[in-house]
Amino acid sequence: MENSIVKLRGYKDGLHLIINPKVSLTEVEAAIRDLLNGMNQPLAGTSIHIDMTTSPLTSDDLKDLETHLTENYDLVVSGVNIYDEKNESPILAAPATHSISPSLTTDNHPNFEQAQVVRQMIRSGQIISCLAGSVIVYGDVNPGGEVVAAGDIIVLGALRGNAHAGAHGKLSSVIIAMELVPLQLQIGSYVNRPPIDQKPRGYPEIARVGAEDIIIVEEFIKF
Amino acid sequence: MGKVIVITSGKGGVGKTTSTANLGTALAMIRKTVVMVDADIGLRNLDVVMGLESRVVYTSMDVIEKRCDLDKALVKDRRVEDLMLLAASQRNRKDDIKPEQMQVICEKLKQEYDFVLIDSPAGIEQGFHNAAAGADEAIIITTPDVSAIRDADRIIGLLQHQGIESISLVLNRLSPTLVKNGNMMSKNDVLDHLNIDLLGVVPEDTGVIASTNRGVPLVHNDGSPGAAAYMRIARRMTGQRVPIPEMREENFMSNLLNWFSRNK
Repeated sequence: MENSIVKLRGYKDGLHLIINPKVSLTEVEAAIRDLLNGMNQPLAGTSIHIDMTTSPLTSDDLKDLETHLTENYDLVVSGVNIYDEKNESPILAAPATHSISPSLTTDNHPNFEQAQVVRQMIRSGQIISCLAGSVIVYGDVNPGGEVVAAGDIIVLGALRGNAHAGAHGKLSSVIIAMELVPLQLQIGSYVNRPPIDQKPRGYPEIARVGAEDIIIVEEFIKF
Repeated sequence: MGKVIVITSGKGGVGKTTSTANLGTALAMIRKTVVMVDADIGLRNLDVVMGLESRVVYTSMDVIEKRCDLDKALVKDRRVEDLMLLAASQRNRKDDIKPEQMQVICEKLKQEYDFVLIDSPAGIEQGFHNAAAGADEAIIITTPDVSAIRDADRIIGLLQHQGIESISLVLNRLSPTLVKNGNMMSKNDVLDHLNIDLLGVVPEDTGVIASTNRGVPLVHNDGSPGAAAYMRIARRMTGQRVPIPEMREENFMSNLLNWFSRNK
């Protein structure tokens, strides 16, 4: 149901049309035609989001695209999410729920976000939840302990318990830990658990929603 | 003025009562005045482990309900001087007693004794809160298995929440052979996980079962590895600096087992 130029994904808030920014409008339209014609289910009347980066398509192109989708396929465009290219989301496939507003990008302001700092280890039965932003823990999170955040979760120690990032559905949230050996990870509505008997690898790791809609874990080098 | 130390674990069966009996006896043997309080109301057994079952006349419940004085309710140990036991009532339940009442008893006892050891019941409910109410410090007993450690972790969180800052760990029933074979968590694994001070390590010692059944704490049995470990812990509790020896499996049985497995 996808090709390299456009992808259609179903998320909590509806369908997202994800557009590869490196191509021209005609190519995008052709790809959309291939995609929608190749589907069994007619999408007439459905509302979709458009996800894309700021690059090549201009606002005029975007308007053309919206008209194209509305007139030719009877779709309702309910929103347009635009990534800042410099600040590109780790996952192209995930919708940017924190779309950067134009005023900020033009003024070159960094995208600040609230974070709660926890200066203790989190033991079994203890839960830290920050539904306004990210959480940074200066210590371990032990089995039975839990961290919930609307944004990212950063553990400057071993994460052995549960962590739920992007609790409001922000799928670009990540979980970073110096030692990532959790019982369970959750990002948005995706849940994952490591293989049984996983040993610490000895380097920091990052978990995020990968292109296949599963949580992937890899060595954390640079965001 | 002495200090009140609650001995607790979360999980049952890891050796709270055995440790209380042995540490109390060991402290009294090195000339400290000690009173052990059984806070496991309704399921008491510290008196049994101490072999004082037949001498219990009054319990902490009688003191709380003013049927007798505190001094009168204390049972003197059979073997060691200056070692007392305040037994728990067997007829009552854990919620028949309030944390404040326990605090009053602890305050009175620590005026007269160097150490007040409280044997906590398992669990994190009312019984645990009563046991911890009057405590200045806590000793966590855990065995090196994941469920006991998980519960210990939970208990540490609750104690810290209650404002008890001095919390130390006794790792009980460590088997050097199993650790060496990779079948048991090592001392360092446990410490890495719980992140609190280690007070001591007690090796697995089958002598504990016999001593419990006879009502004679292990520390009376010179030469057993468990007794030596408890004596070292008691010395550390009095402020002496006693190193924690690294455990090696060099007893006859393990050598024999190794010999058999080599020649299979």
